[in-house]
Amino acid sequence: MTIAAGIGYALLALGPSLSLFISVISKKPFLILTVLSSTLLWLMSLIVLAGVWRAFLPLKSNTWWPFAILILTSVSFQEGLRILFWKVYKRLEDMLDAFADRLAKPRLFLTDKMLIALAGGLGHGVAHAVFFCISLLTPAFGPATFFVDKCSQLPFFLVSAIIALAFVTIHTFSMVIAFSGYAEGNKVDQYFVPAVHLVAGMVTLVNFAPGGCVVGIPLLYFMAILTSLHCGKMVLRRLSETRQ
Amino acid sequence: MESSILDSIGVEIIGVMSPVSICMLLVVLIVYSLSSSNPFAAASAPSIRTAANLVYLETPSDSTSQKFEGALLNALVFVILIAVVTFFLVLLYYYNCTGFLKNYMRFSAFFVLGTMGGSIFLSMIQHFSIPVDSITCFILMFNFTIVGVMSLFSSGIPIFVRQGYMVALGIFVAAWFTKLPEWTTWALLVALALYDLVAVLAPGGPLKILVELAQSRDEELPALVYEARPSVAQNGIVQGRSLDLLVGGASDSRSVEMQTMSSNNVDRNESQNLANSGYTVIQDTNFGNMEGLQRRDERDRSLSVGFLNDRRSSSSSSSEYSTVVGNHDSEIVVDEERSPLVDAQETRNGREQMRDGLENSEVSSRGIKLGLGDFVFYSVLVGRAAMYDLMTVYACYLAIISGLGCTLILLSVWRKALPALPISIALGVIFYFLTRLLMEPYIVGTATNLMMF
Repeated sequence: MTIAAGIGYALLALGPSLSLFISVISKKPFLILTVLSSTLLWLMSLIVLAGVWRAFLPLKSNTWWPFAILILTSVSFQEGLRILFWKVYKRLEDMLDAFADRLAKPRLFLTDKMLIALAGGLGHGVAHAVFFCISLLTPAFGPATFFVDKCSQLPFFLVSAIIALAFVTIHTFSMVIAFSGYAEGNKVDQYFVPAVHLVAGMVTLVNFAPGGCVVGIPLLYFMAILTSLHCGKMVLRRLSETRQ
Repeated sequence: MESSILDSIGVEIIGVMSPVSICMLLVVLIVYSLSSSNPFAAASAPSIRTAANLVYLETPSDSTSQKFEGALLNALVFVILIAVVTFFLVLLYYYNCTGFLKNYMRFSAFFVLGTMGGSIFLSMIQHFSIPVDSITCFILMFNFTIVGVMSLFSSGIPIFVRQGYMVALGIFVAAWFTKLPEWTTWALLVALALYDLVAVLAPGGPLKILVELAQSRDEELPALVYEARPSVAQNGIVQGRSLDLLVGGASDSRSVEMQTMSSNNVDRNESQNLANSGYTVIQDTNFGNMEGLQRRDERDRSLSVGFLNDRRSSSSSSSEYSTVVGNHDSEIVVDEERSPLVDAQETRNGREQMRDGLENSEVSSRGIKLGLGDFVFYSVLVGRAAMYDLMTVYACYLAIISGLGCTLILLSVWRKALPALPISIALGVIFYFLTRLLMEPYIVGTATNLMMF
């Protein structure tokens, strides 16, 4: 539906990430590099998953359980990869601290570590948004639009952009929660993240039923708001602890 | 609160990655806007015969094996042509025909900006129906071209304008290359990556000879290279240099030199760094240290040019096969462009340790240099990916950027001129085919059913 609509959908999915990027991340080049490497990592995870599932695709769209298995395996793989990402980050943090010592500069502050985690999460969110939403947007720049049967109230592009926005939020804040959880050894945070990811993935299965998106999308946003609130609480708690 | 190191790490890498990203983005936009003009005629191969199409003109109706062989032949002929021309240029440089080289460079920059840039502007005017008359257009193009030639080869023009024109050159040549047929483009990219590897690293390679000649004469390379200059912060400390790991290619503007580290004095930092060559991430150099620690800057004078890649953008329009090869003016030019802050110090070309409290004494133009040919071929790969789908564009962009990052890291380890094409092109091609073959059914299958994770 014309270029304006196409740009609108893209901004709907990626607008908050773009403003986060411009205001916070672009000031520090290291964070830009973190975003890029994080996006690359999640892209590779998607390619591996696609390779594994290639033999079974395309799935028939009348039964829901193959999709459930697909989402289950994909989410578990990605959560495993998050732990790997954490380990790499730990090594990087040690190297950065050693470097700071050599320069006689202060070591990484708590806010620095959280910023790096935020950048990592943003990379994850952007990778999701680009591959699940933006790459399908090309027809939206043309003169027509497209509706899917299962959710015929809104154009498909709008629905996918809204879902992508929810997931971007979830991914961005999950990484902050996860890194903080691994650093502190806080079990609640450590299990919160994979649980939220899994539940969010499963909630989208509700969209499979006809007219399901009326229920599915608000549930998804509930998860997103939950994640951001938990992240905010956790950050406030940690910051106030270090101030004391 | 003191500033943490996070503020200053990685500035040089971003200084190189942003122009590459901008170049790729603009090429993708140009490809999208100009190709949508005739979506159903997309299958029509260009009927112009160019240096890349000398042997075989691809048409959609040929069989797969025919296309494959034809593409390989095209790529082979193109690489041979490039190699011959590069050897010829090395010969000219060896015999010190710098006047001829300089003027040839100016002519080819003028030509590329004028004709290729002109044809892109004309097609955009046509496509978007911009109301401008031919006389105004001619005057504007002429001004654009002349300022471009001046900024590339003379001094006194702001570095930003120069960088902008370099990127513009890269964009025009890349946009032109995307007009080649598909199989030929992929074969060409792979062949050029291999050629680059051989030409820069193998003992008899033309580019290696060129680098050694330039070093032995202590001159700048006769090439069109994009230089990312460091940014100077308000307190006079150059932000960019605090983490040198990634600055592998920092180079002194006057000498493209690869002195070994042993020529510098010992300092425990330095010897530690020498020992840690494998420890790429955090290598030395503290520049701009507020506590006035003794700064060792092994790097600067010892560093070589980042990427030696010649800008062989071989462009040929219908009748000529002119190779656009960059030639750079002598060091005098570069000197004047340096920022005044560092002017005083550049003369001390690294014999002794530079001490300094706040000022950034180091060198003049430090910063990574990337040849214009790299810009062109990265953008060609992404432009070709754009003709398939946006997913492949993103995947190839990430692959190329990570390849560039890897090459920069290798540069900081090996400290000599490295080819920038092979890793990025290899990753780009792999990711393109993986994405095209594997990702699409996976992503589209779940996304159209509104199931995402």
